[in-house]
Amino acid sequence: MFGFVLARLLRSLIVLFATVTFVFIVLRLSGDPAQQMLSDIATPEALAAFRTQWGLDRSIAEQYLLYLANAFQGNFGTSFADGREVFTVIGERVPKTLSVTVPAFLLTMLIGIPAGILAAVRRETAADKAVMAGAVVGYSIPNFLLGVALIYLFAVWLRVLPSSGSSTWQHAILPVATLVLAGAATISRFTRSTLIDVLGQPYIAAARADGIPEREIILRHALPNAAIPLVTMLGFGAGGMLGGAVFVETVFAWPGLGSGFVRAVNSGDLNVVQAMILTFTAFMVSINLTVDILYAALNPKIRLGNHDAS
Amino acid sequence: MSHLLAVRGLVVQAPARGLKIIDGIDLSLDRGETLGLVGESGCGKSMTCYAIAGALPRGIARTGGSITLQDDADGGTGSPAKPSVAMIFQDPTSSLNPVHTIGHYLESALYRHQGLRGNDARLEAMRLLERVGIDRAKSRLRAYPHQFSGGMNQRVMIAHALAAKPRLLIADEPTTALDVTTQAQILYLLEELRAETGMALLIVSHDLGVIARLADRAAVMYCGKIVETAPIGALLERPAHPYARALIDCMPTIDPDDLEPPTPIAGSVPLLDNLPAGCHFHPRCDRGGRDCVSAYPAPARIGPGHAASCYHPVRP
Ligand SMILES: Nc1ncnc2c1ncn2[C@@H]1O[C@H](COP(=O)(O)OP(=O)(O)OP(=O)(O)O)[C@@H](O)[C@H]1O
Ligand SMILES: [Mg+2]
Repeated sequence: MFGFVLARLLRSLIVLFATVTFVFIVLRLSGDPAQQMLSDIATPEALAAFRTQWGLDRSIAEQYLLYLANAFQGNFGTSFADGREVFTVIGERVPKTLSVTVPAFLLTMLIGIPAGILAAVRRETAADKAVMAGAVVGYSIPNFLLGVALIYLFAVWLRVLPSSGSSTWQHAILPVATLVLAGAATISRFTRSTLIDVLGQPYIAAARADGIPEREIILRHALPNAAIPLVTMLGFGAGGMLGGAVFVETVFAWPGLGSGFVRAVNSGDLNVVQAMILTFTAFMVSINLTVDILYAALNPKIRLGNHDAS
Repeated sequence: MSHLLAVRGLVVQAPARGLKIIDGIDLSLDRGETLGLVGESGCGKSMTCYAIAGALPRGIARTGGSITLQDDADGGTGSPAKPSVAMIFQDPTSSLNPVHTIGHYLESALYRHQGLRGNDARLEAMRLLERVGIDRAKSRLRAYPHQFSGGMNQRVMIAHALAAKPRLLIADEPTTALDVTTQAQILYLLEELRAETGMALLIVSHDLGVIARLADRAAVMYCGKIVETAPIGALLERPAHPYARALIDCMPTIDPDDLEPPTPIAGSVPLLDNLPAGCHFHPRCDRGGRDCVSAYPAPARIGPGHAASCYHPVRP
């Protein structure tokens, strides 16, 4: 198990490194940040001065090596826009993003998993149909549309919730709700289909033939098996929350990583864009690592291999 | 004394589709007896087992008939203990929960059926594993099913069945998924345990060879009905139903002088929703008369304990 974790950890580092390199090169090849930062009417002298100031006049290889050398010392540059350390800029935004995505993820599990279990156990009943109908709605409306619909319903029409900003906890309700509706729809559908699959397995029939009560069959025999694929799906869900945050934060003017990212891309603030992509990647990599470890922990076939234990 | 197990007019249906998977079968089993149930794939052998074990899959229900299990405590004082039925399955590895250890599997059954827990349960689990021929039982308790071979997993299932101290063990194709050597060992083990514990054994197979080895009596199933029941010797030597005879004819032999290839049964098993009128076997039968299509034949006595549902039984 230890070697397994170590190997995954090493792989994660390689992913991070590859991302930095790829993003660096693509960003330098796709447009002129001086032109983007300064306005259209900037003089050629002003543009040249900007390029020299940020080292953009050197070759990409030179810029890349310099960037790496600094990065290894923990220096990821400063924002073109206001000259602050990029991680100061990002550091302000990470808690904002976590304050919508973490509650959204927890609620997604809290709603999606039990709803899926209910639908699977009460298959073909009204409860199942209600859950699946809700899931179809949540599943088929895109995040940004859902966000706009919620703003219209609760902020414009009913006037019970604020539509943009982040000053109070009420401001978080609509962004979280948007993420949860979409997330819980996916998770409940997946939980349902996985559990139905597990309930059809021969070892469940065997447990029934042994007279084990249905409740215990669900809790002790079926769910531990359904949890194995579900963990992978939850990993996708957590990753999807971060992606969703880009939309949702923009729609609700929520000052997190997502909206910050959109703004940095639009203004050509390369150092910030790079560091944000690195941050996103680091989140993704740690989610995957957690999923891999949980998957192995839950699954004896992975944890132990198939040699005779004796 | 009454039978240990008496099945009368059992009907099992999938109500959603209205199909009769089992259509009014009668079976009986005495204490310590071995009954073989044989028939082609899809004839309803497994459903019969599940019905008797009271564990039909969802969407399938018993809609008629009765299943009675009589315990030895008949007429005794106090409340007779519920006579127990245990079951083992065709594919042992997928019939064991992949996330539970062998130890957990056996110990939880010992708790459920005998109230044993902790060290008592562990010791008994080890004893059971050793009884079914698994050595190094102590370390094996920590193993998972995927670490064992199919044969070993079937032994584990048998140990688990024994934990219920069953009066009746149902073995649904217990050796179909195993290689011949292991198959022979498992059959031997079942026979030994049956003799040792005095339980009755209902063994299902589509392989008459397996039935011939173990059973005292056999019942031949076709399309959800029992077409013939007989003591095993009588069935093998003097099958009366043309389907039973055809099944025996397709048993392969290893006699070097017998150069004739086994004869397969012509045609194929009809679908449940499209059963032929009258005797369900008549389209594949070479003895059919006009009466065969009129009504389903009632069982007719052929000899002692020997009956067949056929208008034109094969007479020796
Ligand atoms: N869930 C189900 N719903 C409806 N019909 C079913 C279901 N499961 C099985 N059947 C039908 O019930 C009939 C009997 O099935 P059963 O499994 O008892 O056959 P079997 O004799 O055990 O065959 P095999 O030798 O393949 O195990 C089959 O025709 C099958 O199509
Ligand atoms: Mg079967």
